[in-house]
Formats: sequence, C-alpha cells, structure tokens
Amino acid sequence: MKNLTLLIFLLGCTPLFAQTDSVNTSQEEEDFSMYENATPTDGKNITFCNPKIFDLSPARFVSIAWDHQLPYEMNLSSQGDYAKGTSINNYNESAKVNSTGGLRLFANIPVISSNKFLWQLGGNFWRTNYSFADVKGPINDTSLIQNISKNGLTTFGLNSTVFKPLNEKQFLLAQFAADLSGNYALDNPQGLRFLRYSASLLWGKRPNDRKQWAVGLTRTYRTGELNYVPILLFNWTAPSRTWGTEILFPARAHVRKNFNARSLLLGGYELDGQSYRIGGISTASNRELELRRGELRFRMEYQRQISGFIWGSIQAGYRYNFSYRADYTEKDGTDFFRGFVGKQQYAMINELSGALYFNVGIHLVSP
Amino acid sequence: MMKMTTKLCSLLVLIMLFLGFTSNDEGDRLIGVWQPSSGKAKVKIEKIGTKYYGKIVWLKEPNDPNTQKPKVDKNNPDESMRNVPLKGYRMLKDFVYGGKDQWNEGTIYDPENGSTYSCEINMKDKSTLEIRGYIGVKALGRTDVWKRLEIKAN
Repeated sequence: MKNLTLLIFLLGCTPLFAQTDSVNTSQEEEDFSMYENATPTDGKNITFCNPKIFDLSPARFVSIAWDHQLPYEMNLSSQGDYAKGTSINNYNESAKVNSTGGLRLFANIPVISSNKFLWQLGGNFWRTNYSFADVKGPINDTSLIQNISKNGLTTFGLNSTVFKPLNEKQFLLAQFAADLSGNYALDNPQGLRFLRYSASLLWGKRPNDRKQWAVGLTRTYRTGELNYVPILLFNWTAPSRTWGTEILFPARAHVRKNFNARSLLLGGYELDGQSYRIGGISTASNRELELRRGELRFRMEYQRQISGFIWGSIQAGYRYNFSYRADYTEKDGTDFFRGFVGKQQYAMINELSGALYFNVGIHLVSP
Repeated sequence: MMKMTTKLCSLLVLIMLFLGFTSNDEGDRLIGVWQPSSGKAKVKIEKIGTKYYGKIVWLKEPNDPNTQKPKVDKNNPDESMRNVPLKGYRMLKDFVYGGKDQWNEGTIYDPENGSTYSCEINMKDKSTLEIRGYIGVKALGRTDVWKRLEIKAN
C-alpha cells in the first residue's frame, strides 16, 4: 500500500516535475506532412498585409539623437520684397557658423496595433543651436542672426500614422503632423496659431514579403515652405536578402545593405525642413517673418543592435542648403501656398554654404 | 498510526491530482494547431508539464530560396542555434493559463529577425486567438490574430 501510494504520488505530480527548461526545438520525431491539409475550423482565414517587408531598417518607438553640423558660411539679405530667382550681390549680414546642432527626440507609440489596423501617435522635439563667429552686419532687432543666436530654433510636433490593410496585398497609409517651429524659448513657446500642418495619404500594394510600393499626395514643409507634391513609396529587398531600397520620394531615398539581422548600412539622401516663425524680429510691414529652412542631406547611416531592442545609429554626410529664404506671413499665423509656380515675393534671400554633418542616436525599436 | 499516515498521503495525492489536472482543463483549450494571420506558418500548441509551447509544423515556403535547403534559424542571436531547422522550432514558450481566457508569462520568437518578445495570448472564441508580442510594457507591441486549424484525414 505504501509503495502504491508513492507510485500514485509520483504519477500525479508528473505535470509538475515535467516542467522543462525553455526548449527551442521539439525533440520527438513527428510527421509534419499531416499538417499540410490543416484548414481553419470556422472556414475563415482572412489575411491582411503587414506594414513591413523583410529586412527593412527597424521602426523606432523612441529615439534620442544628437545632430551636429560642422563650420559653414551664412549670408543673409536685408528684409525686402524679392522676386523668385533674385540673386544678391551685397548681403546685409554674414557670419561664419562654427557649428549648428542639438538634441532630436522622437517617440511613436502604437495606440491600436493589430493585423487589421495600426494607429500610432507620436511626438518630436528638435533643437538647433547656432554658434556664430565673425558676425558682420547691423546689430539691432532687424538682424536675423541676432534673433536666432539667442534661443536657436526649436520644433515641437505631434504626429499620427494610420496603416489600414485592405486585404492581403493592398493597403492605405495616412500620416498627419502638426509642428510648432520657431526661435521661441522653451519656457515661453509661441502661440498655437503658428502651428504648421503636414499630411500624406497613400494607397499601395505589397505583392510579396520583399516588395512594397505606394503612391499618394502629401502636403509638406520639407522644403521649408508649404507645398503639395505627389509621393512615391518603394521598399524592396533583393532575393539574396542582403540589399534593398527604402524610398519615400521626394522626402528620402536610400539603398540598404544588410549585413545580418542586427546591422545594416543605408546610403542616400533626406530632405529635411521646417518653417520657423521668427518672433521678436522687427519687420517693416508689421507682419510675421518665417524662415523657410530646407536641407538636402546626402548621407550614410550605420545602424546596429546594441542589446535586445536597443539599437544605435551613426550618420555622416553633407548638408546642402536647399532653402534658407524667409517670407512674410500674417499676424494671425495664416500661411500661404507658393508652390512651384506662385509668384509671391520673398522677404529675404539667404545663402548657406554646404557643411559636413553627423548624427548619433540610440533607439528603442518596434517588434 | 501507519494506516492513518497512508490514508493522509492518499488524500494528498487525490488533492494534487485534482489540482494538477482538473484546474488546467480550461487552459488546455489552447492546445491545437493554429495559423497566424500572415498565412505563412502553422503552429502546434501543446502542453509540456504545466506550461504551453507552440512549435512551427508547417511553412508556406519551407526552403530557403538561396540555398534550396530547408529553412534554418539563421537569424538567431545564439550562433549555435543557427543551423536548427525552423520546422519543429518552438516559437511560443512558457505560457501559463491565468484564467479569463488568457495565457501569459510566455514569449514569442520571430525567426525573421531573431528577436524574442514578451507575449500574451487571449482567446476571443474557440477558433480565434489574439497574440500580442510586446517589449517591456504591453503598449509597446503588436497584436496578431491566429485561427484554429483542423487536421483533415487524408
């Protein structure tokens, strides 16, 4: 009886003792062919396309980066009315910029994330501080250099992204952003009437796990001033899984080299810009002055896993000045659309020489 | 005295049998063959001890297009695991039934990038699972819907 009790006890406890350490593979022999014909029990198996393809650089939940431009020359016109294409012979202000740089914080958190619908909300905070030397020009409240040297330029923005798969192959992608950009101090931000809105809507296809493309329209400030342009997304990975592209034209385009699942190299360009309201500057027409900063950055970026979901990136390249012009806008914050054919005059025609730059960051990446 | 001890032991055994088997019946509803929404794999969930594990039993694309050999876990951060076949690989591990149609304390492995995520499984109905992989907090994650499969006799 005693032995029987012990046997029953041991058998009864089998589920407890059988807890193994986490094992990765099933050791027993199994006929996997029996699963070939396994079908859904309720007859439904709706497949939706994934927002990603193989081997893309990882999407980021949280990102902390430092951006730094090396020395370059800055030449600024006086305020006035300048037609498109005007060239300036005698600049009103000039300076050598020792460095431009600052912190770039970014967060993008999923609110709803399922295979049928993805909605992310995010925020970004960018600082651009200027270090000037050899400043020439008037030292008064009409000076742009004086006004941006005090607080630098700041952007605080909110954004929302929606990915809606329509079926196994097709999807819709919508993005919306509101940015408050200017030379304001952090403890005294400018009014919300100076918010600038961007949005994109794309329809696309994901024919397989290595290709995804989409076309659409965007309202953007990436060249500094408001514009509406067609947009093309083309993400592709070669069959070898070692090369690919990550393109969202015209905003950015990169060729990707994947070394393995934990490191990659991107080479290409990005168009990076904002419209900054310059508060405190004196304008002849009692209107607001907005600095239309647009940069074309040719760069290489190396990304690598540091540990788990923490990745690091280092980026280096050449910053070409696309626009540093300025416009007058209304006191109530209303902006205007010039586009490619508009004839509105500029308030300032400014030139920046090119500069080498680098950017280092650390990121929490998404599953 | 000896007889009393034996009876007590038998009673304890019965209680343990009851706790060991009966209370986990609800959790065993997870056992079966399931398909992720991508349709690229089939996963068999089974019970080992008191925990639930899911292994890949079918792949839509079983061979590596570059080598034409069966796919292996080539992205695993542990180099010694990179030659292990994906078919038979346990991608769901260590799940415990927590009641209310929920299994937790487990992990899910993504062979595409070699990452392991914390994971929670919710059974929406007997044929549907919501599998949420996340990093640290559940807000930082993604949910996939899996459907139960039935094995048809040939």
